[in-house]
Amino acid sequence: MAIRTQTIGDPVRRREDPRLVTGQALYTADIPLSGALHLALVRSPYPHADVVGIEADDAAAMPGVRGVFTGADILPTLKAPFPVASSPSGGAFEGLQLPGSGPIADRRVRMVGDPVVAVVAETPQQAADAAAAVWVDYRDRPGAGDCRAALADGAEAIYDAVPGNRAFRWDLPANREPDPAPVVVAQDFRIQRLIPMAMEPRTVAARPDGDRITLWTSTQSAHRVRSSVAKILGVARERIRCVAPEVGGGFGAKANLYPEEVLVPWLTLRFGAPVRWAATRTEDFQTTSHGRNLFARLEVRADESGRVRHADLAMQFDCGAWFSRPGPTTPSLTGTMIVGPYDIATAAARAEGAFTTTAPNEPYRGSGRPEATYLIERMLDILAGRLGLDPVEIRRRNLIPGHRFPYRTATGLTYDSGEYERALDLALEAGDYAGLRVEQARRRAGGGKPLGIGVACYVEICGFGPWEAGGVTVEPDGSVTVRSGTSPHGQGHETAWAQIAGEQLGVDPARVSVLHGDTDECPRGIGTFGSRSAPVGGAAVFTNAETVREQAKRLAASLLEAAPEDIRFAEGRFFVAGSRARAVGWTELAAYAASEESPDDAGDALTSDTDFRPPSETFPFGAHLCAVEIEPETGEPRILRYISVDDCGRVINPLLAEGQVHGGLAQGISQALFENAAYDADGTFLTGSLLEYAIPRADMLPAYELRRTVTPTPINPLGAKGIGEAATIGSTPAVVNAVVDALRPWGVEHLDTPLTPEKIWRAMNESQAQGEESESD
Amino acid sequence: MRAFEYTSPKTVADAVAMLSSEGAVALAGGTDLLSLMKDGAASPSRLVNLKGIRDLEGAHRTDDGFRIGATTRLASLEENPTIRESYPAVAQAVAGVGSRQVVNMRTVGGDLCQRPRCWYFRSGFGLVPMHEGRSMAKIGDNRYHAIFGNSGDAAFVNTSSLAPPLIALGAMVTVSGPDGERSMALEDLYRTPASSDESEFTLAAGEIVTAVTLPTASAQSATYDVRNRKGFDWPLVSASVAVSGGSARVVLGQVAPTPWISTAAGAALAGGLSEESAAAAGNAAAEGASPLSGNAYKVQLTRVAVKRAAMAAMEG
Repeated sequence: MAIRTQTIGDPVRRREDPRLVTGQALYTADIPLSGALHLALVRSPYPHADVVGIEADDAAAMPGVRGVFTGADILPTLKAPFPVASSPSGGAFEGLQLPGSGPIADRRVRMVGDPVVAVVAETPQQAADAAAAVWVDYRDRPGAGDCRAALADGAEAIYDAVPGNRAFRWDLPANREPDPAPVVVAQDFRIQRLIPMAMEPRTVAARPDGDRITLWTSTQSAHRVRSSVAKILGVARERIRCVAPEVGGGFGAKANLYPEEVLVPWLTLRFGAPVRWAATRTEDFQTTSHGRNLFARLEVRADESGRVRHADLAMQFDCGAWFSRPGPTTPSLTGTMIVGPYDIATAAARAEGAFTTTAPNEPYRGSGRPEATYLIERMLDILAGRLGLDPVEIRRRNLIPGHRFPYRTATGLTYDSGEYERALDLALEAGDYAGLRVEQARRRAGGGKPLGIGVACYVEICGFGPWEAGGVTVEPDGSVTVRSGTSPHGQGHETAWAQIAGEQLGVDPARVSVLHGDTDECPRGIGTFGSRSAPVGGAAVFTNAETVREQAKRLAASLLEAAPEDIRFAEGRFFVAGSRARAVGWTELAAYAASEESPDDAGDALTSDTDFRPPSETFPFGAHLCAVEIEPETGEPRILRYISVDDCGRVINPLLAEGQVHGGLAQGISQALFENAAYDADGTFLTGSLLEYAIPRADMLPAYELRRTVTPTPINPLGAKGIGEAATIGSTPAVVNAVVDALRPWGVEHLDTPLTPEKIWRAMNESQAQGEESESD
Repeated sequence: MRAFEYTSPKTVADAVAMLSSEGAVALAGGTDLLSLMKDGAASPSRLVNLKGIRDLEGAHRTDDGFRIGATTRLASLEENPTIRESYPAVAQAVAGVGSRQVVNMRTVGGDLCQRPRCWYFRSGFGLVPMHEGRSMAKIGDNRYHAIFGNSGDAAFVNTSSLAPPLIALGAMVTVSGPDGERSMALEDLYRTPASSDESEFTLAAGEIVTAVTLPTASAQSATYDVRNRKGFDWPLVSASVAVSGGSARVVLGQVAPTPWISTAAGAALAGGLSEESAAAAGNAAAEGASPLSGNAYKVQLTRVAVKRAAMAAMEG
């Protein structure tokens, strides 16, 4: 039987799916733990208050209750602050405040859902009942539901150490004095707060194992959790085995450390018994990080032909009640990506961050790039409208041409590779842009529902280093084991990494096992976020498999009694040049390596575990086209066509890539039209359930038409750029541009998201609606 | 959730007796009551399960119409051929509920006695929430609140899915209590409370809804509702239309503390259903609306819902 040796690029079906769709997969809540105790947390119902008293005697006496703990019991025993935020690297952050709130309240709560009392009982029900019986006396303080309220004069300090609530300033000065340009356009934007909403709520479990602890958690980064927890609990890192078993979605919100990841192992050490905590959906709403949530003002200067010469961005960023390491990087990514795929000579950006009495506002699918893309893409449409240009034409005049790569941006980044106009052309062709414009003109002249056409070009930054692990070993039976430092929460790493190793080694991917998300099995790793798995983790698998193949040639030379330079490799077999009949495969080599005749270093020849260190980031890009029709009676928008052209470099598995695009489009379109996480002025949470928070259902989304261009990156040998966030980034502005385009006859230039039917109807029925929206949604 | 006593009587008389004690509440499908209890907006000391009472369940033709028992589930109503053929406004109202889980569990009596979705009420501020002498709904976020019948302090809306079509079709409701059984027009089940101490229902202590009866069908009827997200949102506005002979009835849901009978819209349709009369009825229904600070959009949706319901009734 001929072995297929080219598997990268094949639409291989996900090997993960049978166990997932049949309910065989084990999530953290499913891990069997005999004799486990259960944690329930008493949480603050107030945005901001002092904890004046706690009365827990009744709760402690209830059936099955094994212990009741407050900050006074727990905080003095911790060896490092929580959260473990440190100054983010690579940015000009000034005055960064890291007050440290602790994993449980220290006589002060700063958001609805802050943990105040930990109740441990023998069953989850007993723990919940006892938690409900704890009486906490709060003294209310004024809160701040958004960063403008927190930064206002006289606002109550959320941390005593941070009067004024300013968490940081970030400044990217202009690269040089901007050239004069005659056309100046500015617009204020409010990008709403979103909830990432993984299907699996956060869950943590721990078990004592001899003098070690095994910690299971629903995380995107088992290694980071292990390091942080070890530091905070003051135990050696080697004493903690951290496992991310099946993880049901993360979207960035499971990339940082949470209080329960400290409290559960703390309680396990205390009781010497397994302990589990599983968030209710309400707890997940209240305490798992939210995202986006930005006030921004963008000004561009252009010449009359529509060439943009300068961009200036000012941002106010809501940190929530605390932030972990990645928090403040979000606005800095927005700032450095504000020029988008356009050749803009100069740019400046700045941000100030503020603590508020709301849930942490952290990276969410795209983190900063959706904001940047939305801002510049909306601005180009506004500018095109002012200059009487077609939105496509203004983009063509500004896109970075293919021959300019690698391209150095005004903000100091180096774009790796790109054919931006080709992606735009493909989207226009696939969507029949010219035909849509004809239909729009027909409707505007002769009646019919308003039709809008939106175009958005995007480029994003991903593949963040500094390194990632992806070890490859050929086992004694000839099968292959990959030890991945990145771990999936739905992406399909097992399928994709098997394809990469399979192709490099000429082995059927079915013979490749992929281990991940276990700090014992995979000793090194950083994690899955920022679309970094393929370009960094996948590249590690790619290079290690190549190394094994080259090392194996020496072993084959010994076995075949030939010089290493004469050994050839094809279709998974090694042979001496010119005598293919005497070929040996991985099974023979592995057996030989284990035998006494083999050279001393034979075992090492079949394994390689060198981390991949990318020299810089990758920059996927694309173009999206959306056609939308408005129901004039109700303002309801209906998407008629959605074309997504995405270029993520070399594609490992088109099925997986398309799956990422589908999910990204759902979230990006939903940001444009539906979702909004709302707090009131004090920080009372208004959208704390799936009834109030509008996650989309399938019937609310259009049929997607996907196209692809392939422009490999030179940054890694795999050529892959990353696809996890791309569609989220391109879709929000495409939809908003389409809706605003439909509303042009009404003089509408901008509307803030989400574009609810009511907002659209008001824009059509209240004259001079020029984007100054009330805070009604 | 607080501890409570659970009882499951077999007869209406026993149920009424068990409900006469302080803090006792009737439980049927539980789709509303259980969420109120979980949210802490209700903490009954006793739940009286009505689903064990055989007489209360089932829908069937009678000599002079159609009788629907109070614990009949929406799902079985939706499947009932008489409802589908003769009372389409009712079938369409059930279809609009969308969520299968709710349709499978919610009962007719529970739907008619659905408590308001008002977020002040659900957050424990009471049915007519007041802040320093002013209606919280009127000074706060009121995008989903009443645009009719809001001259007093009450600004919540009645959210029953079935009340508008049943009232449009002329339904009677039967209730049983300590003083026996009585019947009244379904619209008389509802009232607008002046304060949180009063109920939004005219039921006396210990009384429960036992059945709804519809007259023999002779009307063209339809229901249309507007939702942000079809499937699981509550409607923003719903409208039911029933036209029979020279008279028509138009009943709005989600717009007032009670199901709202629009006599002006009914008059506009009395001469018959047409595209013109549908549009006129929509405009007539919106006349006299008194929107609050944040819900003027519902006035427009009222126009649209009535017009579309009338068009649907015409197309039958």
